[in-house]
Amino acid sequence: MNAHTIAVTVVGGYLGAGKTTLVNHVLRSTDERIAVIVNDFGEISIDEDLIVAADSDKLTLANGCICCTLADGFAAALMQIRSAGTLPQRLLIEASGVADPAQIAAYGHTPGLRLDAVVVMADAEQVRRQANDRWVADTVRMQLAAADLLVVNKIDLLDDADKADELCDWLAGLSTGATIVRASRAAVPIDVLLGPRSASDAVDTHERPAPERAAAPGWHVVADLFESQTVVLDAPVPKPVIEALLADLPDGVARLKGLVQAAPAAGASDTTATEAADATAYLIEAVGKRTSMTPYATDPTQPPPRWAISLISHKGSLAPDWLESRLHERN
Amino acid sequence: MGTNQPFVIYPARRVITINPAFPFGEAVAVAGNRILGVGTTDELASWGEHRIDDCFANHVIMPGFIEAHCHVMSGGLWNSTYVGYFDRRDPQGLLWPGCTSIDDVLERLAKAAADMSDDSQTLLAWGLDPIYFPGERLVARHLDTVTGDRPTLILHASGHLATINSALMERCGIDETATSPGVARGGDGLPNGELHEPAGMMLAGEAFADMMKANRSEQARWRYANEARNAGHTLLTDLGTTQLWDPEQLGNWKKVTSGPAYPARVMVAMSNLFGATADPAELAELCVKLKSEQTDKLRFGIVKLILDGSIQGFTARISWPHYYKPPPGHIGNGMWLTAPDQMADLVEPYHRAGLTVHCHCNGDEATEAFVEAVEQVLERYPRWDHRHTVQHCQLTTPDQYRRMAALGMCANIFSNHIYYWGDQHRDVTVGPERAARMDACGTALASGVSFSIHSDSPITPLGHLHTAWCAVNRVTASGQVLGPDERIGVPDALRAITIEAARQIKMDAEIGSIEAGKLADFAVLEDNPLTVDPMALRDIGVWGTVLGGVLQPAQISDA
Ligand SMILES: [Zn+2]
Ligand SMILES: [Zn+2]
Repeated sequence: MNAHTIAVTVVGGYLGAGKTTLVNHVLRSTDERIAVIVNDFGEISIDEDLIVAADSDKLTLANGCICCTLADGFAAALMQIRSAGTLPQRLLIEASGVADPAQIAAYGHTPGLRLDAVVVMADAEQVRRQANDRWVADTVRMQLAAADLLVVNKIDLLDDADKADELCDWLAGLSTGATIVRASRAAVPIDVLLGPRSASDAVDTHERPAPERAAAPGWHVVADLFESQTVVLDAPVPKPVIEALLADLPDGVARLKGLVQAAPAAGASDTTATEAADATAYLIEAVGKRTSMTPYATDPTQPPPRWAISLISHKGSLAPDWLESRLHERN
Repeated sequence: MGTNQPFVIYPARRVITINPAFPFGEAVAVAGNRILGVGTTDELASWGEHRIDDCFANHVIMPGFIEAHCHVMSGGLWNSTYVGYFDRRDPQGLLWPGCTSIDDVLERLAKAAADMSDDSQTLLAWGLDPIYFPGERLVARHLDTVTGDRPTLILHASGHLATINSALMERCGIDETATSPGVARGGDGLPNGELHEPAGMMLAGEAFADMMKANRSEQARWRYANEARNAGHTLLTDLGTTQLWDPEQLGNWKKVTSGPAYPARVMVAMSNLFGATADPAELAELCVKLKSEQTDKLRFGIVKLILDGSIQGFTARISWPHYYKPPPGHIGNGMWLTAPDQMADLVEPYHRAGLTVHCHCNGDEATEAFVEAVEQVLERYPRWDHRHTVQHCQLTTPDQYRRMAALGMCANIFSNHIYYWGDQHRDVTVGPERAARMDACGTALASGVSFSIHSDSPITPLGHLHTAWCAVNRVTASGQVLGPDERIGVPDALRAITIEAARQIKMDAEIGSIEAGKLADFAVLEDNPLTVDPMALRDIGVWGTVLGGVLQPAQISDA
């Protein structure tokens, strides 16, 4: 993997749950270069102001990337994306309303791509009925089970907070360890959807300047339901510490992302220059129960990337210095 | 006097008209591309100046067979080497014996590789069905022994899997680091060459893409029609495998069908399969436009939709108690390819445009969803004689047939399944009781539902004599009768492969029976299907066809 690997976000969920609204929200809320693949019948419903040109088989988006369909299969769509417009940093695949998002996620393992997360939308008002429908109950439950990030959308349509809590508990029972996020009009904080901002900036230093809103290390509030913390790493971290961190994340963690140098063994506290040279770089990520540790090829001709780990957690679930102390207590 | 042009009288051993008012004749007269009449030679001669052609004097003439469900890849796949389990004749008429063991498959591949001149060229094969090789699994290791360094890919009969050799794995960078769930692994934990579903198969890169691209060519379209002619078919329905909005694919259809030599008529269905995102209302409009420009040989006006998967792939939607002995790890039911709640809205624009909707429904739950959608649409927009058709219709229940009859819906029943997978359906997929009532031509007939039967070629080989044989005898590959009470008589089977097929694509005014004024499309047979032993139906030789008055002799070469 290298800095040009394209992250893949799959957006699934039953008809009417708000998948398209979420896609538009993402395109509107980030300056990441995102290409979109849609798989549903009906018109591609990207908001008009996000489109600069429309062709018979693709749309050119304001971010310079394109939106196309799976009409000729995924390989063709990918080719279309790679040859048209700007090379994207991320691919958003909107699954059809009856698709198994886990199957679509398999495309995220195509060489050159990296599966980031499976986001499944649920309609707060309808999901219970759908999950017991005579025909689609199993389809809806399969979709919910595939989620890394389960968005309980249209939460404002529920009468009161108790109902929302009860619904989220019930959904937690159907999911397999997904991070559950409540939203209205699919307005999920963008850092929760795409990963902590400061960490993705680190990954992309070769490609673009760090934007102004890069998070400072320490406490940071993401919308009002989440908060984030970032630890900048000035030395390699022992690999077992990183592995232990990923293996045992508390429930409150919605997202974690980092670019780290892993030292082969413990003892990074008195790191020498030789050890730093021996260390292997990894991109580490966690969302829901999905965690990954991907070798990361640094480019010797470029300045070194920013080594840091960021995480986003449900507000009040973690101490502000949890990550910092976690990394140290294991050292 | 109806004709000023000279005409030809073809005396025959028997003319079977499929017109109940005039069921048989001694001869048929053809004026230009149309039937002048059927009767005795003397009766026909009385029309005027004519010529008598005795070339069919020893043959039986029937209306040309009409396949209302097959696919153009039936022609395209023959660019690749056939390694299927059953004997199959290619469009050139050459018989490819079935590969009934893994060794047979390897031997076939070895020969194909030896025949290739360019060392770097990828060896492509198709038709492998592991369901017939229980126990042993053909993997890359086997392929390597006969293909060496030549990249090799076999597309399975299901279309959901491919097996590639080590050379192709290496070329495509598929190794132990592969993370895709589409890359299958052997007992040693290493990729074994099997690629699952599109996400896995696309990793084979150009090899897989080339195989798919071959289906869009002119050559594929010629082979498709040549195969039809060899089996006595005069019309094929490409049911949802052409993207009609693509100028190249549409152009190739126009090009091949424009001359008198092309040996079939083709009904090309409008389709939004394969994820196309076009608005159904726009597709309906395009289909109506194409219909207004159609020619004698290139027809439009039907639409293909799809609701569920396949029974043998355990992806068809089957109501409780679902599958009988599904593979370990399979949970409950199959999958929807279209949301059932969405179906009525999807059917509506086509229905309102006056088109006929054909929907793939293998499981009874899929049939239920389609029938319900048609009910809803009819309530919104009442319309007579729509002929919306349940395609495959494999597990449709008697109550569903009664509803279909009431709604004016048709059925196209996948009778070939009884022979090719009937044993597996009884023993594995749905169990004895439901297997016995699968592909229920008897119930369709008793319920008054107009029905045809089909091959779904390339899924099973094209050939209506074989398909009729399946509906009449219901004999499986192992030789057992599956559900004897659903068998139908030969006369009903002959109607199903001619006039009833024409009816569900709304061409029964022009073809499907031998009657004065209809197009002169005939299947010319070596024997009489009504008098042979029903078990010999599929063995009747086919001389070829007459298409719009043009003689189209079959090409059968036995090497
Ligand atoms: Zn089908
Ligand atoms: Zn088909």
